[in-house]
Amino acid sequence: MEHGSLQDPSRATFSFVDEDHTLANAVRFTLNQDPRVSFCGYSIPHPSDARVNIRVQTTGDPAREVLKDGCQNLMLMCHHVRSTFDKAVGDYRTNTTEMEND
Amino acid sequence: MDPQPEPVSYICGDCGMENTLKPGDVIQCRECGYRILYKKRTRRIIQYEAR
Amino acid sequence: MSKQENKENKKFSIWDLPDVPMGQLPPHLQLQRTRVVCKADAPIHTDTVLYSGAYASMGIDNSLHLDSFRSNFKVEVIRLTKDDMEFDMIGIDAAIANAFRRILISELPTMAIEKVLIANNTSLIQDEVLSHRLGLIPINADPRLFEYLSANDTPNEKNTIVFKLHVHCKPGEPRCTVYSEELKWLPNGSEFIKESEKVDTKPSTYTSFSCSQNSLQNFSSNPISPTEDKIIIAKLGPGQEIELEAHAVKGMGKTHAKWSPVATAWYRMLPEVVLLEEVEDEIAEELKKKCPVKVFDIEDIGKGKKRATVARPRACTLCRECIRGGEEWEKRVALRRVKDHFIFTIESTGAMPPEVLFTEAVKILEDKCERVITELS
Repeated sequence: MEHGSLQDPSRATFSFVDEDHTLANAVRFTLNQDPRVSFCGYSIPHPSDARVNIRVQTTGDPAREVLKDGCQNLMLMCHHVRSTFDKAVGDYRTNTTEMEND
Repeated sequence: MDPQPEPVSYICGDCGMENTLKPGDVIQCRECGYRILYKKRTRRIIQYEAR
Repeated sequence: MSKQENKENKKFSIWDLPDVPMGQLPPHLQLQRTRVVCKADAPIHTDTVLYSGAYASMGIDNSLHLDSFRSNFKVEVIRLTKDDMEFDMIGIDAAIANAFRRILISELPTMAIEKVLIANNTSLIQDEVLSHRLGLIPINADPRLFEYLSANDTPNEKNTIVFKLHVHCKPGEPRCTVYSEELKWLPNGSEFIKESEKVDTKPSTYTSFSCSQNSLQNFSSNPISPTEDKIIIAKLGPGQEIELEAHAVKGMGKTHAKWSPVATAWYRMLPEVVLLEEVEDEIAEELKKKCPVKVFDIEDIGKGKKRATVARPRACTLCRECIRGGEEWEKRVALRRVKDHFIFTIESTGAMPPEVLFTEAVKILEDKCERVITELS
């Protein structure tokens, strides 16, 4: 759900339902690192509601695209984390079996 | 119409023996004479949430 | 690259200093950016410097590029056993590491007992206490093979696991303990008959299994059971009996902690202990004695003089004993934490091995992102 002005797509607040700090903080991190973003923050209006408001203000690009790119970046980072982790576990396992066989 | 079709068994408070009583019986344990008898737990299946 | 300071403005530019390397931050700013400094009262510089233009006046781009993340990110596994693992993640930020930790604790699904049908309980443990204890027993079943059971679904072999517990301590026998190994798996579903008001319908049980779970490939070779056999459920005196059926369903730690697949999962930042001055002789001995986890060590530097060195910085627990006791200790030892190096520990309850848990947690974060992206498009 997006609340923004119709004339100015570069600043908007996005409201995510059924989300909490887990996703919001990670998305905020990736968005802040983007050079197109001038402001990014999130707030949780009430802890009993599972709702997060993310505010994005950019230097011209539509906020929706920037948020999408941020999520895309986060997904690619997760892919990379997963593959590196799997490789590291595989390496560890082969190393320990080698050491046991020695 | 029999209000209690089967005689109900109660547990003695002292010796723990099961006594079957019919309506109108004296309330007393048959073995030790203790006059406090407890009703047995129901046989119905009760459902609980494991929380 | 070196620009920005106005020539009219007589402010001195940092690039004029002879020993500042071009294209990099001067060392004190690099320290602020990458290390949390733990002083005697509180840590400082704890925030990550997120803003991409933070160092723009120096001409340094602080934004995150995926390629630099990919090249700098490393994972090293320190310890990996059946139930727990410890690994290092280098080059990632606290926001994402925390997201993984939160997902591991509350959003990974597991199987746990939810409904307990008690036919008879003459033990001293109350019904609801017994049910609560049963719910907390970890169950050795892969939750990925099951579906969620919602309120209007019927329990069937795809979303429920049924266990039976029937123990009777005969009168005259000594007290017996009911262990979790007494929970027997019923692959064919519930055996208790539901009381129905219509007399002519076939008696139905509390679940409707269309086929036996034994016939499914995964379970025929390793039957479902609690992960540990010796968990004490209850204790029975002579003449007491427990007869019940327990139905386990899939759920997440968010709803109730019994569905959390980890005993716990935590991370800490890599400690960095630096001696700011040479610490010699008696002061070195004193320093070595102060630390309860033996971070410091003494080495001989000849001529009978001794010097303190940092031998095991990774063991530092931030007790701050080495900087307690006056100003001069704070000047000798610097306690720091590396902001992007996390030592992750995951202790599993046994249903799934820890490396699988972490992989699933990362997948869940990816799914969340994907959901957001599809909603935005």
